[in-house]
Formats: sequence, structure tokens, C-alpha cells
Amino acid sequence: MIRANGVYLRYPDGTEALKDINLHIKPGEIVYITGPSGSGKTSLLKLLLGMEFATLGSLEVMGMPMVKGKTASINKLRRKIGPVFQEFKLIDGRTAFENVMMGMRFLGMPPRKMKDEAKNALIKVGLEEKMASKVENLSWGQQQRVAIARAIARKPALILADEPTGNLDQENAMNILKILHNVKDINTTVLITTHATHLLDGIEDANFLHVDNGSIRVEGKGW
Amino acid sequence: MKTFLYNVGYFHRETWRIVKSNLLSNLFSVLGTGLILFLFGMVATGTLIGNELLAKLQQEAEISAYFSETMDESVALLLVDEIKEIEGVWNARLVGEEESRSQMEDLLGEEAGILELFEENPFAAFIEIRIHLDSMDTVLNEVDNLNGIEYVRDNRAVLERLQGIIGGLKIIGTLIILAVGITTLIILSHMIRQGIYNNREQINTLRLLGAPGSFIGFPFVMVGLLLTLLGGALATILINVLINSGYSSIDGALTFIPLPSQQGLMMNISILIIAVSLVLGLLGSLFGLSSIGKNR
Ligand SMILES: Nc1ncnc2c1ncn2[C@@H]1O[C@H](COP(=O)(O)OP(=O)(O)OP(=O)(O)O)[C@@H](O)[C@H]1O
Ligand SMILES: [Mg+2]
Repeated sequence: MIRANGVYLRYPDGTEALKDINLHIKPGEIVYITGPSGSGKTSLLKLLLGMEFATLGSLEVMGMPMVKGKTASINKLRRKIGPVFQEFKLIDGRTAFENVMMGMRFLGMPPRKMKDEAKNALIKVGLEEKMASKVENLSWGQQQRVAIARAIARKPALILADEPTGNLDQENAMNILKILHNVKDINTTVLITTHATHLLDGIEDANFLHVDNGSIRVEGKGW
Repeated sequence: MKTFLYNVGYFHRETWRIVKSNLLSNLFSVLGTGLILFLFGMVATGTLIGNELLAKLQQEAEISAYFSETMDESVALLLVDEIKEIEGVWNARLVGEEESRSQMEDLLGEEAGILELFEENPFAAFIEIRIHLDSMDTVLNEVDNLNGIEYVRDNRAVLERLQGIIGGLKIIGTLIILAVGITTLIILSHMIRQGIYNNREQINTLRLLGAPGSFIGFPFVMVGLLLTLLGGALATILINVLINSGYSSIDGALTFIPLPSQQGLMMNISILIIAVSLVLGLLGSLFGLSSIGKNR
């Protein structure tokens, strides 16, 4: 699913965000990426989504080499990915429901199915009551859950969730993690970044990567 | 294609949302394109009327060939047959002395009384030759060289002046049409660019979700078409009002000018304006869309 060999990422201003990243993630795996703020978690997800490109080394996602300039194939790849952005990237002026729909409209789903999937996803994240609310009127935690609903409703092969529990209370956070674990049943691969290591204590069916200052320091629960 | 069918409602809502999000500017651009297309409509109307006029007048191109007065009518008729064979001539006939006189009476109208002053009919019989204007020179030559023809007269000078005027109008018309096209394209692609800029965050998010360019761009093409079509509709209304009042004000006054039928003219102009707005709308939005790549 994901293969990284000696990947480096240096931003134009000279920041070395990632150094010598080597990864092999198999389909259906759930991987938690932990690490302090500024360690490079978001940067890693950006590479996987084709928002940034490795300055050195090679990276493959679902068999596709992630190199600059292949806009069309990267677009196609993105349709198989369910991203949850750290800053949500919801579309203002629209309802929670329409935001979830927006993630599916170009996937070739018939309207009936889109609506069902959107509703189910919103119910799953506990936003049944807020479907018709404009997203800018929702609380941060609610907006975060809309972002998660948008990602899972797409039935993607890969979920890239950046701090999906960052703004949630313990109960909602656990619920979201449970939802993200459940998609494993359809062989979806899930990458979740988080600061909240205390939530991960009881979790057994996942792998753990600890990133520090751009490098993978420990694989497994080593914080 | 499937995506478009599945999202008809969405695209419809999106189009109006983009228009409404910048309503005032869009209204002004409709007004602007409307007035520009109205200008285009006036030029097109002028051209259509001019073409009709020219076509009719070209049929009026004629040569009068005079033969010696001693010639027998039967011989003259043979000459007529000979003339009919010349290339570029589409009709020739003998105009007798009496007809010749009554033609002049018609022309003089109330002043025809002056003809009473002549004791004898001062008008000679002649051969009236209708030709295609383009072949005026060759026909003139050939007729002039025929045995029995004394001299020929033609109405070429008048026709050529008209042709020149209409030709000039066509050049001005072409320039105006060019200006109209370019102005509309500039206004429109600017509006589309602005729409794209105002929606850049949404566009960026859709990109990250893997939306194809066609999905992102389609509502903007619809906006472009909507704006020019509304402008085109405005222009059509204005031009039809103009044609209507024009025709009713010259009604009866200028019967000798061969105007095209009012219904046909209005129909043709309306179809033309709408077709031109469609093409310009499509082109303008595509130009505008080319800026979409810049805010990746
Ligand atoms: N576009 C950019 N240009 C320059 N430097 C950047 C850019 N994006 C991130 N960085 C830097 O790269 C490093 C890694 O940032 P990144 O966002 O990946 O951290 P993170 O682990 O996601 O942090 P957080 O937990 O706070 O979200 C940081 O030092 C950050 O300042
Ligand atoms: Mg981050």
C-alpha cells in the first residue's frame, strides 16, 4: 500500500521536515503516527497525498510513484484516499451534509447511494442532528467530525487522518478511533497522527510509529 | 459523463451560487455584454439589409442597347435572340417606342405633362438587357460589337457606387464584430477568473479530494454561458425593438428600397445573436478557466 525508501523532505525555506523515512505499510493495516508538534507528521501525510514531493528517496502509494507533474494520475489516486486534514478544510457556506456529499460527487456514485452514504457517515460520527447546519456554525469538535464523515463516506482504500481527535473529548475521541478501526473490515488502510498517546493504551490491532524531528525513532509503542 | 448526470442538481445550484456570490459585478457584465451584443446586432442588421439591397440591385443591372432607327422590328428581334446567348445575360427584350415613352412617363410622374410638348414620340425603341453586374464589362463589349447596335448605355456607375458603400460598411462591420468578440471575451474571462479567485479555497479542497478539472470547471463554464446568454437575450430584445420601430417609421415612406421581410430579419438576427453569445460564452469561460491551474 505504502512504500518509502530513504525519503527526505526539505521545504523551500530550508526546513528539513523529514529525514530518511523508510516505511512499508500493507493493505488493511492501521498505523498510528505519534510525535511532538513540529516533528513532521503532517508533512508525511502531505507526501502521501501528493501535496508535497520527496526531495530525495522514493515513495510509492498504491503502486504509484509519487513524483511531481503527474497531475492526472495523482488526482485519480486521491479519489481512492479519504483525507482528514488537521485544519479540516471544510467548505464554508454549506451544510454538514453537503460537505460530505462534496467528497463523493466525482466518484461515480449514483445520487441515491451518495445520500445514503453521507447520512450513514454523519450518523456514525454522532452528527445526525447537525446534518442541515452550515459547517461554519458548528463547534470545532463537530467540524472535525464532519471532516471524518467526509473521509469515511468515500469508502476509500486509504484513510489519512491528521489529528482526527485533536478537538474532541475522551468519549467522542474514542468513538472516532473505533469508527476508524472498523473500516479495517473493508480492508482500508488507515494512518492516524495524534498527540493523544493516552488514548492508545488499550489498542492492540494497530502499529505505531514515533516520529521525532523528522525521523522515525521507534516503531511500536515506544513513547 | 455519469458524474454529470448524477450531479445535475449540484451543478445547477453551484452555477447560481457563483453568480449570486458576486451578483452586482455579474449584473454589470450582463449589461455590458448585452450592450456590446446589441451593437453587434445593429451591424448584423445593417449587413443583412445591405446584402438584400445589393442582391436586388444587382438584378437591376441593365444595359440599354440602341440600334439604328431604320432597322426592322423583326431584325431587332433576331438581335435580341443573339444577345440572350451572351454569357452573363439573363434576359433581353425589345422595348418599343410606346413602351419607352410610358417608362419615362412613369419615371416623371406628375411632371409627365412635359412630354405633351413633343409632337412626335422622342423616344427610340431599344433592347433592354438584364445582366449580372459582375459580367458588365464583357457584355458591354460584346453587345457594342454586334452588327446593327449603334450605342449602349448602362447604369453601372450608380450600382458600383452602391457596391462600394456596402463594401465599406462590411469592412467597418467586420472590425466592429472583431471588437465585440474580443471585448466580450475579456469581460467574460475576467468574470470567470474572479469567480475562481473567490472560490479558491473550495477549489483547492476539491483538488485534494481528487476532483477532476472538468468537475471543478463545469459550474464556471455554466456561469459563463449564463452571463453571455442573458446578455444575448438583452441584446435580442433591444434589437427587435429597434427593428420594429425602424420598420414602422419608414413604413410607406421608402417603398422603393427593397427591405428584407421584418419577420425574417428579426428571426435571423435573434438566432445569430444567441448563437454568437453561446460561442463567446463557451470561449470566454474556457479562457477564464485557464487561470484555475494557478492556484494549486
Ligand atoms: N510549507 C512549509 N514550509 C516550511 N516549513 C514547513 C512547512 N510546513 C511545515 N513546515 C515545517 O516542517 C516541520 C514539520 O511540520 P509538520 O506540520 O509536519 O509537523 P507536525 O508533526 O504535523 O506538527 P503538529 O503536531 O503541530 O501538527 C515543522 O518544523 C514546520 O515548521
Ligand atoms: Mg500536523
